[in-house]
Amino acid sequence: MVFSSIIFMFIYLPIVLAVYYFVPWKWRNPWLFFVNMIFYGWGEPVYILLMLISIMINYISGIFVGKYRDDNKPRAKRILVINIIINLSLLMFYKYFDLFASTLSIIPALDFIKPLGITLPIGISFYTFQNMSYTIDVYRHDGDVQKSFIRFGTYIALFPQLIAGPIVRYKDIASQLDFRSKSPDQFASGVRRFTVGLAKKVLIANNVGVLWDNYAALSATELSFAGSWMGIIAFSLQIYFDFSGYSDMAIGLGRMIGFEFLENFNYPYISKSVTEFWRRWHISLGTWFRDYVYIPLGGNRKGKYRQLLNITIVWALTGFWHGANWTFMLWGLYYAVFLIIEKLWLLERLDKAPNFVGHIYTLFVAVSGWVIFQLNSLSQCAVYYKAMFGLGSGGLYRPEDIYNLASFALVFLISIIACTPLSKNLYNRLPEKAKSFSSAALIIIGLVISTAYLVDATYNPFLYFRF
Amino acid sequence: MKKVSSWFQICIFLAFIFLFFVLHLALPDVGFSEQENRELTQAPKLTVDSSFSGQFTSKFESYCSDQFPFRDSWTTLKARSELSLGKKENKGVYLCGDDILVEGYSKPDFKQLDTNITAVRNLAEKANIPVYFALVPSFAEIRSDLLPKNAPNDSQKEIIDYSYEGSGTINIDLLSAMSAHSDEYIYYRTDHHWTSLGAYYGYAAIMEAMGKTAPTLSNYNREMITDEFYGSVYSKSGISWVGSDSIEFFVPQREGTKVLNYPSDEAVPALMYNMDFLNKKDKYSMFMGGNTPLITVNTENTDAPSILVLRDSYFDSLIPFLQDNYSEVHAMDLRYYKTKLMYSTLIDYIEEHNIDEVLVCYSLYNFGTDNNVFLMGQ
Repeated sequence: MVFSSIIFMFIYLPIVLAVYYFVPWKWRNPWLFFVNMIFYGWGEPVYILLMLISIMINYISGIFVGKYRDDNKPRAKRILVINIIINLSLLMFYKYFDLFASTLSIIPALDFIKPLGITLPIGISFYTFQNMSYTIDVYRHDGDVQKSFIRFGTYIALFPQLIAGPIVRYKDIASQLDFRSKSPDQFASGVRRFTVGLAKKVLIANNVGVLWDNYAALSATELSFAGSWMGIIAFSLQIYFDFSGYSDMAIGLGRMIGFEFLENFNYPYISKSVTEFWRRWHISLGTWFRDYVYIPLGGNRKGKYRQLLNITIVWALTGFWHGANWTFMLWGLYYAVFLIIEKLWLLERLDKAPNFVGHIYTLFVAVSGWVIFQLNSLSQCAVYYKAMFGLGSGGLYRPEDIYNLASFALVFLISIIACTPLSKNLYNRLPEKAKSFSSAALIIIGLVISTAYLVDATYNPFLYFRF
Repeated sequence: MKKVSSWFQICIFLAFIFLFFVLHLALPDVGFSEQENRELTQAPKLTVDSSFSGQFTSKFESYCSDQFPFRDSWTTLKARSELSLGKKENKGVYLCGDDILVEGYSKPDFKQLDTNITAVRNLAEKANIPVYFALVPSFAEIRSDLLPKNAPNDSQKEIIDYSYEGSGTINIDLLSAMSAHSDEYIYYRTDHHWTSLGAYYGYAAIMEAMGKTAPTLSNYNREMITDEFYGSVYSKSGISWVGSDSIEFFVPQREGTKVLNYPSDEAVPALMYNMDFLNKKDKYSMFMGGNTPLITVNTENTDAPSILVLRDSYFDSLIPFLQDNYSEVHAMDLRYYKTKLMYSTLIDYIEEHNIDEVLVCYSLYNFGTDNNVFLMGQ
């Protein structure tokens, strides 16, 4: 199930909230556990089993790691290592097997290996990482063992962040599993946050996404210089509003049931360096890789060359985490290059340069990077980059580009403003009364218009002449 | 933030999500959507099989969205917000002026087009009788000036010229015929077809090319049958506030004209105008009763020639005019007739029925994209 759907907003959510606030406290976690499974199994009911097995393995591992971590550290470590191997194997199999199989089968001796056509269990990348963070935190004494299976399962499969993050680390949420206060202020801020996220996803991301789909489908001769830039800028906006909108909805829904998650995005496109961009983009993933990969590898404590190697490894993995295609790894390495250059040389100079230099440079790197991220093959990337750098066969611009620009000018303007903290700052300056009035008005408008787009997404006319 | 204001926001949100939850339960389910021209999904039954395979969940999901309270108003609101955001289209349909809905034309895949042109050429070579070829342009070509500036809309003239060049047939210039009357009501504003007036101009051009005469416009007793027609482009666009179209009849079915419909091998008596469709959404199907593999028309002009027309639905509204010029009209739609052509060819059909002339008449869109046209050449 996804948040931005009729069934979630108007069937699932009312029932979940009604029962949650109706039953006494001790039934609330079990209720959440139950509805998490419904939420997760909605599209692929059989994968509930996979989820339950995964929860069970990590629940038991956690108990044993906790049991031995003080008296028998080597044993605790062995259990931890086995646990990590199991978690990664599940992820490797369900997410990457087909990629590995089709890559290996290029080698003639290995051509018996065939892809299995596995459907990716949704959210597996997120909950596998949460599972690992739990056992590692327990091993490191960063968190206590969760003795209740229900509470542990509630954490791993918590529906607000189950399928698209943020990746919530166990230590950040442990106490909230045992006790959650309920306050109308928290619920109301959840409502505001959810509505903002919904509008970002439905009204902006889906809208500019249409433009990107249009340009991504063009052949080399149809893709002009101006068109290629408009297309990739549309995608840059789409992915930001899609992903951060989803995080906003997650944070908002969490607050409605008493959870506080950490922020996942912090206006990334206003960054002045690539280093800063990655402190503002998908923060929970960056933090995860820093705490559980980069620092254990030695971080910056083992000399400069080792640090550069660590950066390269972490970014290759970060890229690869995003999807089962080698282009994602390349995308990660692309960032490793810029991060290393900045670390060695550029960052100091950017600090001294006027702000706009850093802004333009960062946007250029981020926007260009999305080409590798989103196109499926290097040959497609090559065609697209050629057009972006004026070397393509599609010319400078085409009449359609002008039409598209005119059609999307307002959407672009709104979404570019929404990439900055401008409206938030304005809102915060309002007097208290105006704040509460405008909040209420924006909630109504946001919900109504988003609902119109959600219903419209299922519009499916029967057109007799097509048949 | 003050407590009161928090409570107020919570109430708005909960009222909104619970309101539609309750309304969906309370309101009766809708069967047919006029707007979308289809049956809406009804409540699915929960079985063990369907719940484990995920079939139930996906059916239930489309049930909930199909039966969402005031569905049409929501899609209208979406269309309105798109247009107020400065867009000139919704779902690929341009809103031109206040109430004309137009789909832009995009060039077909040339592989398919070439196959189709070759098929027509083969037919022309094999048949020992004249083969005429008439491609009908759509509104987007005739009134491209009404489309939004720079909107994607490929030239139909280019594709028509290209097709005529390779077809080896006697070609009929409908583009000029329609363009000469571009400011008249020759295409529906909410449907992709031509109006009966448009069909008349098409008919006149075809007759002229064949060296026959068509009565002048003033000879017809035009009769408006309905002014509540909302066509396919309307359904596609979701732009629900435009006005409806009207449908006219020019020529009644004359006494002595016999129409037979061949939905299968068995002939069924049919009518030139099937008034049952007057009460349905799909009112254009009044002409000849809608899509069917083969229709034959026998008139009292037994001395006149007979004609085989290979055509699509544009031709339905043109057939009545032909009563004055032909003894027999065989209107064949290859999209539905294809199974029969597995056993025999069109040449067999022409010989068997003593056909004197062949006309290939398609809308340009269908001719460029349809993958049954190759049957002509066999």
